[in-house]
Amino acid sequence: MPHQVALTVVAPIRPGGRDALERALHAAGPGGSADATVPFARMTGVHFARLFLLRADVSGAGDPLPERLILMSDVDAPLDRHVSELCDIGGPTLDAILRHCEGYPDTPDPASRRAYLERYAVSAATAYINTVGRGLDQVLLEGRLRETLEHYLDQHRDELAGRPALEIRERIQEFVAADPTLRPALGRPAPPDLRFRIGEAIHLVLVPAGLLALSPILLIALPLGVIVLRIHEGRDREDRRRPDDAWVDMLASLEDHSIQNPFVAAGPLKPGPFRRTLTTTVLWIADYAVRHVFNHANLAGVKTIHFARWVFLDDKRRVVFASNYDGSVESYMDDFIDKVAWGLNATFSNGVGYPKTRWLFFGGARNERVFKDVLRRHQQPVQVWYSAYPDLTATNVNQNERLRAGLSGSMSAKEAAAWLQLV
Amino acid sequence: MAAARVTATDRVELDDMQGLLLRGYGNLRAACFLLYGVEQPDAARDFLAALADRVTPASQKPGEHALHIAVTVPGLRRLGLPDAVVDGFPLEMREGMVTPHRSRILGDVDESAPDRWAFGAPAGPEVHMMLLVYGAERSLLTPLVRELDREAKRGGLREIARLETTDIGPAEHFGFHDGISQPRLDGIGAATHDQDETLRAGELVLGYRDEYGLYALRPMVAPHDDPAGTLPADAEGSPDHDLGRNGSYLVFRQLEQDVPGFWRYVDDAARHAGQKADAKARLALASKLVGRWPGGAPLVLSPHSDDPALADANDFRYHAADADGQRCPLGAHIRRTNPRDSLDPQPGTANSIEVANHHRLLRRGRSYGPRLPIDTALAGEGDDTPRGLYFICLNTNLSRQFEFVQQTWVRSPKFAGLYGEPDPILAGGSFSIPTETVRRRLASVPRFVTVRGGAYCFLPGIRAVRYLASLGGVGSGGEPGNSSRPVGS
Repeated sequence: MPHQVALTVVAPIRPGGRDALERALHAAGPGGSADATVPFARMTGVHFARLFLLRADVSGAGDPLPERLILMSDVDAPLDRHVSELCDIGGPTLDAILRHCEGYPDTPDPASRRAYLERYAVSAATAYINTVGRGLDQVLLEGRLRETLEHYLDQHRDELAGRPALEIRERIQEFVAADPTLRPALGRPAPPDLRFRIGEAIHLVLVPAGLLALSPILLIALPLGVIVLRIHEGRDREDRRRPDDAWVDMLASLEDHSIQNPFVAAGPLKPGPFRRTLTTTVLWIADYAVRHVFNHANLAGVKTIHFARWVFLDDKRRVVFASNYDGSVESYMDDFIDKVAWGLNATFSNGVGYPKTRWLFFGGARNERVFKDVLRRHQQPVQVWYSAYPDLTATNVNQNERLRAGLSGSMSAKEAAAWLQLV
Repeated sequence: MAAARVTATDRVELDDMQGLLLRGYGNLRAACFLLYGVEQPDAARDFLAALADRVTPASQKPGEHALHIAVTVPGLRRLGLPDAVVDGFPLEMREGMVTPHRSRILGDVDESAPDRWAFGAPAGPEVHMMLLVYGAERSLLTPLVRELDREAKRGGLREIARLETTDIGPAEHFGFHDGISQPRLDGIGAATHDQDETLRAGELVLGYRDEYGLYALRPMVAPHDDPAGTLPADAEGSPDHDLGRNGSYLVFRQLEQDVPGFWRYVDDAARHAGQKADAKARLALASKLVGRWPGGAPLVLSPHSDDPALADANDFRYHAADADGQRCPLGAHIRRTNPRDSLDPQPGTANSIEVANHHRLLRRGRSYGPRLPIDTALAGEGDDTPRGLYFICLNTNLSRQFEFVQQTWVRSPKFAGLYGEPDPILAGGSFSIPTETVRRRLASVPRFVTVRGGAYCFLPGIRAVRYLASLGGVGSGGEPGNSSRPVGS
């Protein structure tokens, strides 16, 4: 199974091209025409993808930050294949959108499209993957497995229910073996390729080793950093303005059409080198944490996020956060507040107007009303959004994975009974 | 733990709170809800002024009757509350229950779509004011309603709906003992009450600290617009006067229940399970959908049969006894309207309960329509008399409490890791009943409950009622109500 990679393209908009771009995005979005929609489903291994117009903003120091077109996708490696397919299979529909971007070729072909995407591709500072190494094929296979087993159990419940759990499991295994499309589920999914795993293992060890080597310097720098942080926090101004009603209504009109939603929040960083360094450091640590600690089904207690990323823009004066999550935006924000306020604070508190934090991790998001208002004000509408499995929550995907895993290997009667509770 | 957190500023002012926040009036069995539109704001304010002295405060336990008033945001505008004050209400209150997005998340679609509603429909007359009248018996209630009605007419109010309730006992129309689990306010009520359900006052009463230690959004009045000092001060410390304090947000919905449809479905589903569709099998299956037996005993405590000794049992949790839902299915009605310790973070811990407690509602509903015995419902004698529940709940943060519960717990097909299972009682869909081995699955439970009307209202504190009555002269800038839509528009 492949590992997953995040593609981010941040393109400048042609002068005067904004309105036409927005129309092209709406034509490609929900309710738009089918031939205007980028055919992500026909490309290989695309879990999620989106295109949206990032609004203009003002930096922490007061400089204008321009509007941009942003393309993001969460795909199975290799990235190279995905970019090729975007330019090839997705070419004509992408053209209809990208031709409103500055410098896009007048008569594009796969090679010039590719050159353009590569020119404006940026890498994420932090990229979260719900479960590293779980490819799209695996998600879809396990989803089919579950649905088929649901029907099987509905039909055969009367003859199965009274039997011992181990015997029921055997009957299920036989049923799966007899179905050629499901048979692969009897084996375990292959791990990501060796080169990726070696690279991750080296990263896992090398980062702490490097930090250890630098520890004499860090031990001096850290207390100083904390003092400077407290001085900055003392000067921070939280923005208590409520979001505009029409803005919230516009966002809400795009939400809750399925059980998943896309989220984007963007905003300027507080001015000055301290916040810039702090954000870079925090996102670097976060990236390490999501790669090596929170890499299976659980982002520090939040289990409703499929993919998420933080991306620096405009020479690190602005940050974009984007995610694919389950349920309502209200429950998403409540999860932030109730489960990972410390994590939100550490990253988002470097943004202008965030509710006041103490020692970086405390306060902040726990100020429920101001936090929700700040998030809503910084949230951006996503005009084009694609999900390869819009009917599955991340919890569903993980339960399907456990269901499949239980088809192989040996089990005690007790384990088999517990496994049967999964379906 | 909770009691220790009460400080002087958190102590609720019972004499300024409407009694509905403290009591469900189990002793006042008769009730009637009157919905009005304001036609003449001047006369309506006079009516309010007289009413303010008669509204039942929480400091009094009424013996014979009780009277409460709630006002919608269009009603407040019509009474002359200026935009600057109205803007202090949360968006949900200002927009009302019937925006397209809200209909989507509340499930008010198809048969339940607002344009079919009996009241509160987008094109129907605007509901401005609601009187909730209670009496120990019908003979005490009727003359009071008649008198109020006369005064309301003199007060320039036009009746939009008169909603009579029926005393059908402690069970709702499907036949299940209802209203058992209720959050309690910190420092009020029985000290022995289950600590899991004790909330800080601000979760239910405006102007107090909530579970986050914060104050919910509520309308404020500049001091010069309240020169007489009718309103309480802002507990948050601003110079403004607090129009919200001691009030709450009241959600009112008419939920029609298809009792014959419910029991016929259950009877049929019980038959398909290969069981004889006797009364016992039917009740067992219906109880799986609800999560309690008809008598009230929770399935998690009494999985195999009803138990009168557990009729009001509420001191229980789910995780340790029943994490898989083999006793009480994960999707059962009461397990999703109050999941207790079932959900993340860390199911089974105080942390799980603390987070779930950010989404509690104080319920004050009443049934309407005649009771239909199960046998009659099954006989299929075409009983189409409307019956159901006037659902009423109180909370201070509609998006985090009522709307969250409705969207994320009741209606979401993905609640608690499920796949396609909304609340079987309120929404329908598939429904799994876990067993020791192979679960039973009801493929498509129909929808038994239809929304027939509804509104978000402000349940003001008693001083706030007086302030609203005094509006015409103070700071409302001329004839109030000019800027609002006329009734019926």
